[in-house]
Amino acid sequence: MAGWWVGALAGAKARLEALGADLAQSPAESLQILETTRSSLMTGTGVRGFTYFMILLFVGIAVEWLYWTYAYSPLRAAQSAPVGSPFEALRAGVRRAVLQGAGLLLFTAAVIGVSAAFTWPAGMHPLVIQAALFLLALRASWIAVSVVLAPGRPQRQLVPADPARTRSLAWTAMAALALVALGHFIPAILQGATGALHAGSVTRFASFTLATLILFVAAFAYFGRRGRMVAPASGAARAPIFPRSFVLAVLVVAVYIAWLMSPSASVLAAVVAVVIALEVGLRDIVYFYWRDDGTGALPAIALSLARFVVALAGIGAAALALDTPIATFAESVSPWARIGLRLLGVAVLALLAHGVWIAVRSVVDQRLAAIGPIDPHEPPDASSRLLTLLPLLRLCAAVLLLALLVLSSLWALGIEITPLLAGAGVLGIALGFGAQALVRDVIAGIFYLADDAFRVGEYIEGGGNTKGTVERITLRSVALRHHNGPLHFVPYGALGSVRNTSRDWVIDKFNLPLPIDIESEKIRKMIKKIGEEMKSESAIGQHILEPLKGKLYQINPGVKVFRCKFRCPPGKQFDIRAAALKRIEAALKEMGVRFADGVSTVVLKG
Amino acid sequence: MHAGAAGATVRNARILSGLVLLAFVACHLTNLILGLKSLATMEAARPWLMGPWRTGPGITLLAGAAIVHLLLGLYAIASRRSLTLSKTDVVQLALGLLTPPLLLNHAVVMHTAGEVTPGFDATFGQMLAVYWSFTPRYAFQQILVVMVVWMHACVGLYSWLVLKPVWRRIGGLVLPLLFAIPILALLGFAEAGKEVLGKLAGDPEWNAHIRENLTKVVRVTSQLDAFQARILLTYGALLALAVAILAWRVLSSRNSHVTVAYDGNLSASGRRGLSILELSLLNDVPHAHVCSGRGRCGTCRVRIDAGAAQLSPIEGQERQTLERVGAHTGERLACQARVLGATVSVTRLLPAFADASAARAPQEWTAEAPAPVAEGTP
Repeated sequence: MAGWWVGALAGAKARLEALGADLAQSPAESLQILETTRSSLMTGTGVRGFTYFMILLFVGIAVEWLYWTYAYSPLRAAQSAPVGSPFEALRAGVRRAVLQGAGLLLFTAAVIGVSAAFTWPAGMHPLVIQAALFLLALRASWIAVSVVLAPGRPQRQLVPADPARTRSLAWTAMAALALVALGHFIPAILQGATGALHAGSVTRFASFTLATLILFVAAFAYFGRRGRMVAPASGAARAPIFPRSFVLAVLVVAVYIAWLMSPSASVLAAVVAVVIALEVGLRDIVYFYWRDDGTGALPAIALSLARFVVALAGIGAAALALDTPIATFAESVSPWARIGLRLLGVAVLALLAHGVWIAVRSVVDQRLAAIGPIDPHEPPDASSRLLTLLPLLRLCAAVLLLALLVLSSLWALGIEITPLLAGAGVLGIALGFGAQALVRDVIAGIFYLADDAFRVGEYIEGGGNTKGTVERITLRSVALRHHNGPLHFVPYGALGSVRNTSRDWVIDKFNLPLPIDIESEKIRKMIKKIGEEMKSESAIGQHILEPLKGKLYQINPGVKVFRCKFRCPPGKQFDIRAAALKRIEAALKEMGVRFADGVSTVVLKG
Repeated sequence: MHAGAAGATVRNARILSGLVLLAFVACHLTNLILGLKSLATMEAARPWLMGPWRTGPGITLLAGAAIVHLLLGLYAIASRRSLTLSKTDVVQLALGLLTPPLLLNHAVVMHTAGEVTPGFDATFGQMLAVYWSFTPRYAFQQILVVMVVWMHACVGLYSWLVLKPVWRRIGGLVLPLLFAIPILALLGFAEAGKEVLGKLAGDPEWNAHIRENLTKVVRVTSQLDAFQARILLTYGALLALAVAILAWRVLSSRNSHVTVAYDGNLSASGRRGLSILELSLLNDVPHAHVCSGRGRCGTCRVRIDAGAAQLSPIEGQERQTLERVGAHTGERLACQARVLGATVSVTRLLPAFADASAARAPQEWTAEAPAPVAEGTP
């Protein structure tokens, strides 16, 4: 390890020294370049090259002009359509980027394609292509910056940023990108044109250093001391965790130092830095799209997915930067490479598991938040059982996911998991037999809950001989208070069919035996009148759903039996019946009718 | 605050002078295209293509058009009320302002040198020899000027023609032609240049003739330079004056504020005296403006919902365009109606993405507009 460091530092030192030498030599060389450029350009050959270049520009402009005669109207539409939601802004931004990008691609393709048709002065063709690519880089940067930041149009911003500062932010980003493009293309053009190695190297150093400085200052200027750029409008604000400006500044400097040490590593460093910066800012960016309501499960899932995509894109870009095809990497014999690739697989699995976990957790949490805290003074209802069950469900999901993740990670790492699975299977069967009743109770309970078969405070009768008022609901059993006092604990598996007598309404019926010689119709009217009187009285009437009625039901020897009935909410029938009987008794007394006496007439056949 | 008729005259003069200049440049470039065949063909065609412009009336027409076009350009700068410009306008203005300094040298050498130095013949061969061999610096300038002048002409011609119904028929021909001419001309320039270089090396007699001819111009260089410097100074002064007037106009009214309320709960505010369109552009209110506020296309028209009396009255060009597009009463061109009172409320009648077809066939773009009654039908 130490040896590697020594080597890297020595390389960096050599590069810095070379850079110093370049700096020392560049003034003289610049003058020489000017002279060479003058003498090489100011000839017939130079004029020819410049003429061809202008022709290329004309061709490029002509092709793009033709394109815009068709595409300008859609572009204006994308730019001017009213934007109601962040997603509409995203859609409009993507449309705009595609339209402008297509024009730019056409321009570049036309310029580079037509450049093949000319016989260029020696060494000039690569320069022209470099110049076209430089133009492409500049214009592509501008399209990206203007679409993402939408300076001056806060409705169309695709990332969270202070709308008052998007203009300056856009210019800063553009300046840094232009400097990077300059540092990348101009040295190549200089070297190709004049063979000036030192001046090219100095140009690159100067532009990269300037870009680093700009980004460094911008990190502090735009991201500030606080953890985030703008506080979200909704209540999703989180306390600042770590000063982002510092993270960004460190990343910028790290990439710069990596470039100083070895240019080939700097692309990788830049990719890593961009991935880290994106991962740091991704929460804000994703929640920016749900800024009106960031409570649902969707933003959490989107965030997880976005992290996943950014990481994958970063891995892809790093592979491209290292110029290492993944396939050959996998087949390589180096054990480190293999372990690295397997760890990558584990990371992908972990990301997937994380995504599923976020989905489950946010659904459960949302449900729990909707139920709200239980008020201890109120009688608990159906949701109380949900409150018991949901966290359990969440825990089960977590355990399951974790187990799956561990197993599949082991598998991805190349560890044989069949014995583990077999062992777990045997144990599972043993436990399963033992816990069969318990599982049955819990699952039956879930279905009682789903059917809303009973709630706390209701009087139910189970399928066995169990009956009583529901006092407590737990995971496995329900506690029933019998009307005589005993408390039954009934496991759900043994509850059977449930007869719930506390739902909606009850009908109460009672018989009225009267002497055989009374007039039935008179009695019926009397009962009906009493029923209407009761219904109209506020104290008792409010509980009567259907008033008392009575009719002749049966004629026995010496007795006419009248059956009376009324309908009322559960639990009120006893009071109402007592009140009804009291009134009927009084009314009968007033009419001079007595109840049928217990005298039975015995007829003896003689 | 010119009257409507004067405005129309200015516009027509700008288009006409521009067309004259375009015709000249097209002739010149067409002559260069012949260089693809040979230098001799170029020279043979010169009397036909360039000759007419060197006669008395030709020179008068050309110089007059150039001066008129230049002055109108400066006048356009001076008469602006704000710095809001569409992208094409920015390009057009920059290219137009670049043209005189870039082109002056060539014009002076070609025209004046023949007069002050008798016996100097400015043939294509002579000039190409100068560009390709003796002072290539001028070649770069000339190639650049082709780009600048031609793009200026392209933008100007296109934005004028595209609004006309005739564009549907000729557009497919004009647009390729507009780009074929300079591309072919530059190719001809390159081919002829190669030929001239060969001839210089292989034909000592011609070489000597060219060199002798060149010394005649070199002798008067100081004279020509002084003349050019005077013209450039005048141009610079005029430009500075125009910019100063613009700055004064912008700054003098910066304290007075007006607001415009649009449909869709948008609003814009800015200085008094700006047109509604300028206020829209300053405030990023989406507003169609195909002709960049010249009052020609009619795509910026608005219905005035309140405050019609606080707008500048309708003048010639606006009335003409409003009639052409079949506007109802109470509708104005946002680019011509300047806000003089405190608040105005308007409804934009065309979507912001309206393109030139909305100027050519206005009835297709306004849904509720009644079908136009064709003239001559019973």
